[in-house]
Amino acid sequence: MNNWTQPSTPQGNDDPSPYEPELGSLPDGSQGDDYGENVNSTGTTTIGITTDDGVVIATDMRASLGGRFVSNKDVQKVEQIHPTGALTLVGSVGGAQSFIRTLRAEVNLYESRRGEPMPIEALATLAGNFARGGPFRAINPILGGVDSEGSHVYSIDPAGGVMADDYTVTGSGMQLAYGLLENEYAEDLSLEEAGTVAARAIKSAVERDTGSGNGVFLAEVTDEGVDIQGHNDFDAVI
Amino acid sequence: MQGQSNQQAYDRGITIFSPDGRLYQVEYAREAVKRGTASVGLRTPDGVVLAANRQISSPLMERESVEKIHKADDHVGVASAGHVADARQLVDLARRRAQGEQLRYGQQIGVETLTRAVTDHIQEYTQTGGARPFGVALLVGGIDAGEPKLFETDPSGTDYEWKAAAIGGDRDTIQGYLEEHYREDLDVDGGIELAVSALSEPEDGVVNAEDVDVATITTEDESFHSVDTDHLESILAEIDETEEESDE
Repeated sequence: MNNWTQPSTPQGNDDPSPYEPELGSLPDGSQGDDYGENVNSTGTTTIGITTDDGVVIATDMRASLGGRFVSNKDVQKVEQIHPTGALTLVGSVGGAQSFIRTLRAEVNLYESRRGEPMPIEALATLAGNFARGGPFRAINPILGGVDSEGSHVYSIDPAGGVMADDYTVTGSGMQLAYGLLENEYAEDLSLEEAGTVAARAIKSAVERDTGSGNGVFLAEVTDEGVDIQGHNDFDAVI
Repeated sequence: MQGQSNQQAYDRGITIFSPDGRLYQVEYAREAVKRGTASVGLRTPDGVVLAANRQISSPLMERESVEKIHKADDHVGVASAGHVADARQLVDLARRRAQGEQLRYGQQIGVETLTRAVTDHIQEYTQTGGARPFGVALLVGGIDAGEPKLFETDPSGTDYEWKAAAIGGDRDTIQGYLEEHYREDLDVDGGIELAVSALSEPEDGVVNAEDVDVATITTEDESFHSVDTDHLESILAEIDETEEESDE
């Protein structure tokens, strides 16, 4: 009975790295810099606007190779990642899709462990950490969401920069969309009005940016949830 | 109780259940907690009070070196009873987890979340071969979304939430005192008074301000504060006065 084994330390995960997902691991980022013409990217124009009633997110529907060949004309570039939050895909499609799967898992873990949804600011911090620590390079998404503090829109850059704003745009068509938004954004927009403004801004970008096109996806995020609708024809939403 | 020889077969490793479903090593760890001097924690609407008995065994010892109340983060304090060295390991885990939450989410960790991280760690030491359970119980108190919260951890890795609780030696006596005298509308000074009175109950109410270590975590600033001896003495003087009045 006296066969003592060498004491072993329990293999728990008491200190997960804040820069890495708790489940799985960050993909190996050493595949070289062959982004560009061989990798599907979204080129893209994505917009987030906060209102008192919630957040509107709008994206175009085109995937392209290097912005010069249209590789897909019907892409949903905004995905729900939180009961009351959504993220846009901007840049490398593979990087953005993997980023979304990773964040969804984290959001679900957080909520099931604590019995309350992750605050949007916490989700933005986590997304910034992953963007900085991991090889999700060449992504530049917008995070929009609603929590007990109200409506939030963040832009997240490839180096992990996280910036909150009342409205924000990322992607290759951003200058065109900003041009329209600077004129038409107002603090007292309703959710419906903000949707129209966002769709018009996407249309401006789609007309002139070769990386953006083929219609608009609109997501409405309120404290009730996320509603995402695609429109090939702008007339329905402008 | 089983016969002495029978029992010995099951109390050597913590990973071995006895035939009647007990983990003797975990029960022994609870005994280790009882051998420690007591700590008390309680909730008031304005904050959490933690108090610990820190009597020293020799006048030559530096009293401040007896550490039974620890700050885990700005808004969380921990009081211990049992093996102080074991407590320090758990407090350090709590500190790392609290800062990890800031790094990961940019937010203050919830008191319950932090307690669960500690109890998850304690539980691993009840199921790992060759390891020994933590011989310590903790009271984790703090402010969570503006609300005072108080949790207890025990050597099995179970956590309990309390309005007022005692751990360590003479627990039953102190807990009985708390059950009799606790009110939900106490202010923080009233909470300190009750915590110190409860701690002194096993010694017939005689307590020296130097022999207790008290900290508060208040809702107003969501911050941990050590209560200095002067302030404690003034509160203890009040207790004596009211007792004299009631004697008359």
